[in-house]
Amino acid sequence: MIKERRVVVTGIGAVTSVGTNVPDFWAGLLAGRCGIGPVTLFDASSYRTQTAAEVTDIPDGFLTAAEKRRMSRADRMGLAAATEAVAQSGLDFSREDPTRIGVVLGGGTSGLLDSEDFFWRHLNGKPARPSRVLNHMPDAITDRVAQRFGLSGIKSTITTACSSSANALGYAHDAIVAGWADVILTGGSDALARLTYGGFNALRSVDPGPCRPFDRERKGLSIGEAAGILVFEEAGRARARGAPILAEFLGYGVTSDAFHMTAPDPSGAAGSRTIRAALACAGVDAEQVDYVNAHGTATPQNDSAETAAIKAALGERARQIPVSSIKSMIGHCLCASGAIEAVATVLTLRDQLVPPTIHYVNADPACDLDYVPNASREADVEVAISNSFAFGGNSSVVVFARRS
Amino acid sequence: MTSHGWITGTGAVCPLGRTASEFARRLFAGESAIRPMTSEERDGLQATHVARCDGFSPQPEIPAMKARRLDRGSQYAIIACAQAIAEAGYDVSNGPEQVGIALGTGSAGAGPLTEFLRVLLTESPEAASPFHFPNTVANAPASQVSIELKLFGPNVTITQKDPSALNALLYSCLALASGRARAMLAGGVDEWNPVYAMGFDRVGALKGEKRTSGIVQGEGGFAVLLESEESARRRGARPLARVSGVSMAGVPSEPYRFTPDCGAIERAVRGALDDARVSPGQIQLVLPSRNGVAPMDSAEEEVLRTVFGKPPMAVFVKDAIGEMAASGGGQIVAACRAVAGEGSPLPPEARPRRVLIDSFGAGGNFLAAVIESADVQA
Repeated sequence: MIKERRVVVTGIGAVTSVGTNVPDFWAGLLAGRCGIGPVTLFDASSYRTQTAAEVTDIPDGFLTAAEKRRMSRADRMGLAAATEAVAQSGLDFSREDPTRIGVVLGGGTSGLLDSEDFFWRHLNGKPARPSRVLNHMPDAITDRVAQRFGLSGIKSTITTACSSSANALGYAHDAIVAGWADVILTGGSDALARLTYGGFNALRSVDPGPCRPFDRERKGLSIGEAAGILVFEEAGRARARGAPILAEFLGYGVTSDAFHMTAPDPSGAAGSRTIRAALACAGVDAEQVDYVNAHGTATPQNDSAETAAIKAALGERARQIPVSSIKSMIGHCLCASGAIEAVATVLTLRDQLVPPTIHYVNADPACDLDYVPNASREADVEVAISNSFAFGGNSSVVVFARRS
Repeated sequence: MTSHGWITGTGAVCPLGRTASEFARRLFAGESAIRPMTSEERDGLQATHVARCDGFSPQPEIPAMKARRLDRGSQYAIIACAQAIAEAGYDVSNGPEQVGIALGTGSAGAGPLTEFLRVLLTESPEAASPFHFPNTVANAPASQVSIELKLFGPNVTITQKDPSALNALLYSCLALASGRARAMLAGGVDEWNPVYAMGFDRVGALKGEKRTSGIVQGEGGFAVLLESEESARRRGARPLARVSGVSMAGVPSEPYRFTPDCGAIERAVRGALDDARVSPGQIQLVLPSRNGVAPMDSAEEEVLRTVFGKPPMAVFVKDAIGEMAASGGGQIVAACRAVAGEGSPLPPEARPRRVLIDSFGAGGNFLAAVIESADVQA
């Protein structure tokens, strides 16, 4: 794809179970710290499992008490990550044309936890705050971010389950390339809810302990929650104002598996189509890919299908490069996973350090790549990809480069 | 003029008809499917009216065995998309990776979601059915379409208030412009759900006995096949219409507050006209956003007067099918049928050459598009 306008990352923000700002998040990942622990946000005693990667102490001190009451956890996490990303970018929105700055996020259950309380009270004939209903709507956070920073540009929320926020990055990229905006705050925020926790448990897809991506004994995922926000900016403009350029977003691939609502294509053919589409959009060859930030959910099906997809798309290169899953530390953050993993990928490019896949003990013949077991390492990474696969066969792969 | 792509097929399953042509014929004949709620639907709500796909059956397109596994939204979407592909005469198997889908929705998954949660909350997490959970996601309808029609291309679902379906059309334009796809099914899908209706009623969004400002909820599925001009020409397809202008404007707002900002509305409307490189005088039909939310409706009226002086003829789609995140899909389908040659329900002398679509929502979201006759020369 020949582009007259290119897209760079000038700010990042992160709120996760291993750190509620970018430095702490990154230090946690590099140290191989596990953010998965007991569920405290609701009583999980009657569920099959009782562990998740919860965020504690959302850094939302900039909100008033009334704002905090009105907002869901997902809103507050998202605003905290956006605030950090905007600060790093050095953008002063009071000096910008607000119509040229947009917000494109991925969302899903969002603040459903509050709406579940409302629904429970309603079902039991108890009085409930009606505004709690709206916390579940995934587009609320997008409007809140625009409201917070006074932005009047394009707004959109992608709701493709676990690839939502990876696709949001893609939409933001296309919109900047097309000239619809010059700067877009993109990424996503998703918080723990009974629906997703109960749902994955009903599917028998949750590991009772911390998840073990790519390990032969893996038993399923650990659900997490997170917010990841990236400031996407048109490259020429970012250079002209002397902004910090953390990485370039080269492009993305978005495809349908057209296979099954929940199961990945075990042959890896579907996933490899997405990776190839992403590389074609980014204009890079398989030999140029230096690192894969894997979807790596730790379900038996995903990890072997994803391994097959990486091998099918990258050929010999797949065996020469590191592939790791940060879900082993922060869990599967569902609709925010693509965004938070993109933040980690940008940090890998910036620092030339690859985060590990922790809890890795037993090699699996069906997962035979270098998963960076248990300890982070240095690596020369010029181009990195990050995979996101979702219910419905909604697959998305994003491509970043170290230099613009 | 500019072109974001040709529309070569349309589909609709909605309260006003089970095909795009039936919907358009009844819409332009002035019919409305809005009716009083039954006592079961109403169940203590302030709201009094609704527009639903009464008597809908997924047969013959979806066999009964398969239909049982699909939520209603997925059924609407599959049928509307299959209609659009059939009308376009498009053979997906010729290059499935070149065909994608983008749907807007505000409620997809509501049925399975509320049922799964009801059991989880009132019985136990172990009693909640694993069959419901995968369909609780908003992308279930678009994904079921991709599975059913074997599309390997881009697959995106968008939720951004009432204009979600128009937003999906905008994404589809980007997918064609970037070369990601040759053809995109673009549209919207929503299902009416009693729990969601209760929620919207409780926050005061629905028009009711003592509430004169508010929406009447609708439901249905709408799709068009947006195809690159090159692809349509190569296979000798006859286009119904061309998407010549699109635009999106925002304004900072509390997410569920209506912000009747005339400046932002005008930016959206003029943005679509400018993108299409047409002057207001070249528009013969407007499908306004008007949905019963009084301050938003008057702001739109004011902007249309400012932009047009004397506004052209208007047809109020939401007065006929109700409001939902997918209703923009109904406006797109209606605009295509209006400008289409033989397929138009309007007599030749009344057929517009260009149609302006407005689609605005709470939270400061304003979208607009210009759809024009494929006969308008480049």
